[in-house]
Amino acid sequence: MEPGGLLELLVEIAPYTGYVYPNETVIPWTVLIVVYPYLTGLVAGAFTVSSLYHVFGMERFKPVGQFALLTALAFMIFVPMPLLLHLGNPQRAFNTMLTPHWTSAIAVFGFFAGFYVILLMLEIWFMFRPHFVRQAQRTSGLMGRLWHVAGLGSDDLSPKAMRYDEKWIFTLAVIGIPTAHGLHGYVGFVFGSLKSREWWSSDLMPVVFLFSAVISGVALLIVLYVLSCRLRKIAVDLQCLKGLAYVLWGFAMFTLVLEGLEFANVVYKGREGVEMILEYVSGPLLVPFFILQFSIGALIPIAVLSYMIWRGTTGKALIVGVTVSALLVLFQVWMMRWNVVIGGQEIAKTGKGLLSYQLVLLHREGLLIAVSVAIAPLLLLWAMVRVLPPWEKAATSLRSPLASAT
Amino acid sequence: MPKHIVRLIILLVASAAIALIAKWFFTVESFYEYGHYRADSVPEIAAQEAVYKTARYCQSCHSERHAQWSANNHKSVTCETCHGAAQGHPEKGKLPIPADTVKLCTLCHEAMPGRPGTQPQIQVAQHSGGQQCKVCHNPHAPKIAAAAVRVTGDAAAGRQRAAACASCHGAEGISPNDTWPNLAGQSAAYLARILAAYKSGDQKDVVMTPLAQPLSDGDIRNLAAYYASLTCRTVPSTTRIGDAATGKALAKNCASCHGDTGIASNPAWPHLAGQKVGYLVNVLKAFRGGLRKDPMMAAVVRGLSDADIENLAAYYAAQSCQPVTEARKTP
Amino acid sequence: MKREAISSLLARRAFLRKIGRAATCAGAIAATGAAGALGVTKKVAAKSESTSRRGSFPTKDYDWTKRQWAFGVDANKCIGCLRCVEACKRENDVPGDAHHFNTWVERYVYLEGDKRARVDSHHDPVNIAASGSEREYRFANRYQDAKVEKAFFVPKLCNQCTHPPCVQVCPTGATYKAVDGVVLIDQKYCIGCQYCVQACPYGARWFNARKGVSQKCYWCYHRITKGLQPACVEACPVGARIFGDRNDPQSPISLFIRNNRVQVLRPETGNAPNVFYVGIDKEVS
Repeated sequence: MEPGGLLELLVEIAPYTGYVYPNETVIPWTVLIVVYPYLTGLVAGAFTVSSLYHVFGMERFKPVGQFALLTALAFMIFVPMPLLLHLGNPQRAFNTMLTPHWTSAIAVFGFFAGFYVILLMLEIWFMFRPHFVRQAQRTSGLMGRLWHVAGLGSDDLSPKAMRYDEKWIFTLAVIGIPTAHGLHGYVGFVFGSLKSREWWSSDLMPVVFLFSAVISGVALLIVLYVLSCRLRKIAVDLQCLKGLAYVLWGFAMFTLVLEGLEFANVVYKGREGVEMILEYVSGPLLVPFFILQFSIGALIPIAVLSYMIWRGTTGKALIVGVTVSALLVLFQVWMMRWNVVIGGQEIAKTGKGLLSYQLVLLHREGLLIAVSVAIAPLLLLWAMVRVLPPWEKAATSLRSPLASAT
Repeated sequence: MPKHIVRLIILLVASAAIALIAKWFFTVESFYEYGHYRADSVPEIAAQEAVYKTARYCQSCHSERHAQWSANNHKSVTCETCHGAAQGHPEKGKLPIPADTVKLCTLCHEAMPGRPGTQPQIQVAQHSGGQQCKVCHNPHAPKIAAAAVRVTGDAAAGRQRAAACASCHGAEGISPNDTWPNLAGQSAAYLARILAAYKSGDQKDVVMTPLAQPLSDGDIRNLAAYYASLTCRTVPSTTRIGDAATGKALAKNCASCHGDTGIASNPAWPHLAGQKVGYLVNVLKAFRGGLRKDPMMAAVVRGLSDADIENLAAYYAAQSCQPVTEARKTP
Repeated sequence: MKREAISSLLARRAFLRKIGRAATCAGAIAATGAAGALGVTKKVAAKSESTSRRGSFPTKDYDWTKRQWAFGVDANKCIGCLRCVEACKRENDVPGDAHHFNTWVERYVYLEGDKRARVDSHHDPVNIAASGSEREYRFANRYQDAKVEKAFFVPKLCNQCTHPPCVQVCPTGATYKAVDGVVLIDQKYCIGCQYCVQACPYGARWFNARKGVSQKCYWCYHRITKGLQPACVEACPVGARIFGDRNDPQSPISLFIRNNRVQVLRPETGNAPNVFYVGIDKEVS
């Protein structure tokens, strides 16, 4: 037997009530595995907004179209972080790509994610190629050469070249939609495909994850857009903001319906173990689920948005209302990820007991690290926006072939 | 095609090529051989050394102990279950002999709801007065010897044969002096066992051994039946040896076999109540000195002083030898 | 320079550029093809070489194609002495605490009037107090003075399922079902994502934080390939654990399955477990 003492330093033993399997007292997936679907969700949502502009030609989203792509990339780059911090042997992480086991959702996800990162980088590169070219012409010395290399040594901005660029951006954006949705759908499938946990096992799980991802991304963009307008000291484009609010509102309602459906399904089918689920939901999960996620995080934003849409609110009131709703939605989606990931593990596989997840502050998988990983993409985004400004004429102001003539 | 597109395509193709090459290069040798796993891991796992060596391994050096163990009830309890895994033994030293047998044995034998009735179980608090299990039970042959064997003998025939015994043991089985034991009312199973032991040499006594030799098995049974049928009598001792009150406290340790007042619950063990005090003293000393052979008795009396022995003897000698009417189960 | 010279120079440059591009393309494709061929031939060579080299696998004395291991548990016999739990921990270097087990025993007790069983096991603080430490295991005799209607012990371990959900979800192929029926873990390949720990409906798997890999009962593969029994089967004093080769109709497990009405845990999952239980109850899962 190994000494138990060393392991006690590395793991948190979860207290429990009722009967749980002895091996369950160490909760496997921690707050980092809550951060990870949260980040991928933000990516999927941001990309959806950008594709509304680039694919569906909705001009009103022009102010955020390019910015959304940068946001998606900034967050996508950080998606592996919580996973690598969680792995027992992160130095072997590439085993999933060297010998992927195709029946495993995690293995497939690795390829979706890799493909999607490349796609995002390509699309952004095409968008900013004119900027690279112009910067290469403007700057000299080492920086000038770097800009030149960034543009792949080309300074061709002729209409013919731009047409190629447009086609590529459109194609990438079109391919990107199922990719992004597949990316996050797979995250949902990771949970939904398991037979071992009644709280997770559901055909609806990928869809629920996907739609909640979209609203989180839209909400993030709203908050960041308003913030960036403040920082740039320009007026918020109300048409754009209103468009985002519509998208948020529509998807938020549908998300609510889906989550309600899922929960109703579990309760209605009443399979073995449902008593423990009901005890859990009406007990330890009452506040996080019904109050935080559902009432504060879902009902209030929908109510506020509905009111503003009904009353045709505009101006400062609109900005405040939409931003507050967006913040609440961001909170809602975080709580949803928490309630699914942590909540699912707090319901014991025995169906006879409940555990209690211990979140520590200072730990490889603790709160401090989790918050840092969640915030780091914002810092990267800030840096990216400095180098690749999405709002100036620098970026290719492309119009989608589907855009209506304005 | 614009050159940046061309260069981009080249870059993508080159990256894909590098990725594929890297995959083939870094994929471990034996993967995919038998399935989606590293085939070399199977022999690696199979090659680990076994920690528990099994009783056959112990037998190679401890053959006598192994023989005793495998002929008795505990043969389903492997050596290593109590002594620990034999990996590294004997190179790394001896294996522990469990000291706290109460802690060890009660793991299996404590009476607990859920244990099937076929499992021998005891109420720990009432079983042995807190003594260690190995005081009475040999862990390698734990069942206490000679379960009650119903002795069927002809008491009348025994009476005839007993004429030769009367000079020491008395005409009515009540001994005339302090040294030779009363036999009246003694358990037939015990008498049969001890006579057979004297005859075979399992038990040795200067006087009894030659006397037991000419006895046939039938004689032994008849004698046992005869003496068992006689009425016992407690004759107060003339010699003042020991203090019965002090002996009573010591006798608690003997109660599980010999009964609280010296009336044994199991016919395999002798009644002590009303027995001659001098005889009891001699016999206990003989057990202690190894002259009289019984591993259980030897273990029990090992720690007794002369004074203890006298007190115990005084206690039992003073007890009434009439048995209690209701049968008592071994606690 | 003359215009013709310039234009021919430009033409030459254009031509060289084209050649260069073509060469790079061809080079990339050739490299890919070569690597592919190399990789494939290397793989093919390795495979044929290894299989012919291997012969009897995984050891020269043990051929895994000849065995189909299975396990039986007779809960009618189990006395809850937990010698199996301690033997397993010792044999397989399992952490000496009350939260990581390859095998464990559950106690089910119905007191008078109970409709549901009261279940406990070694991670229960009362039992830890009874044994004195987390490294030793003992059931506290907490029901000795209670009116017990029904009580029994159920040993648990990995079921080495025929359709293991843990193997299904492993992203790397670190856990797999061997040809002789045991589900093994390659500790040198596991990345420690713990997806398999989540997927097992029986709670048989656990994470070794020190090694950063998942672990579980593996029917003492290192023992059974040498003709020994798993450590827990060896340690059990009452014959509550049965092990053997289903290919042999006279093996203990074949007889056990044939002579008893056996059942498995959670059959509705479709895992097809290979640990067969006798004497368990509706509450046991």
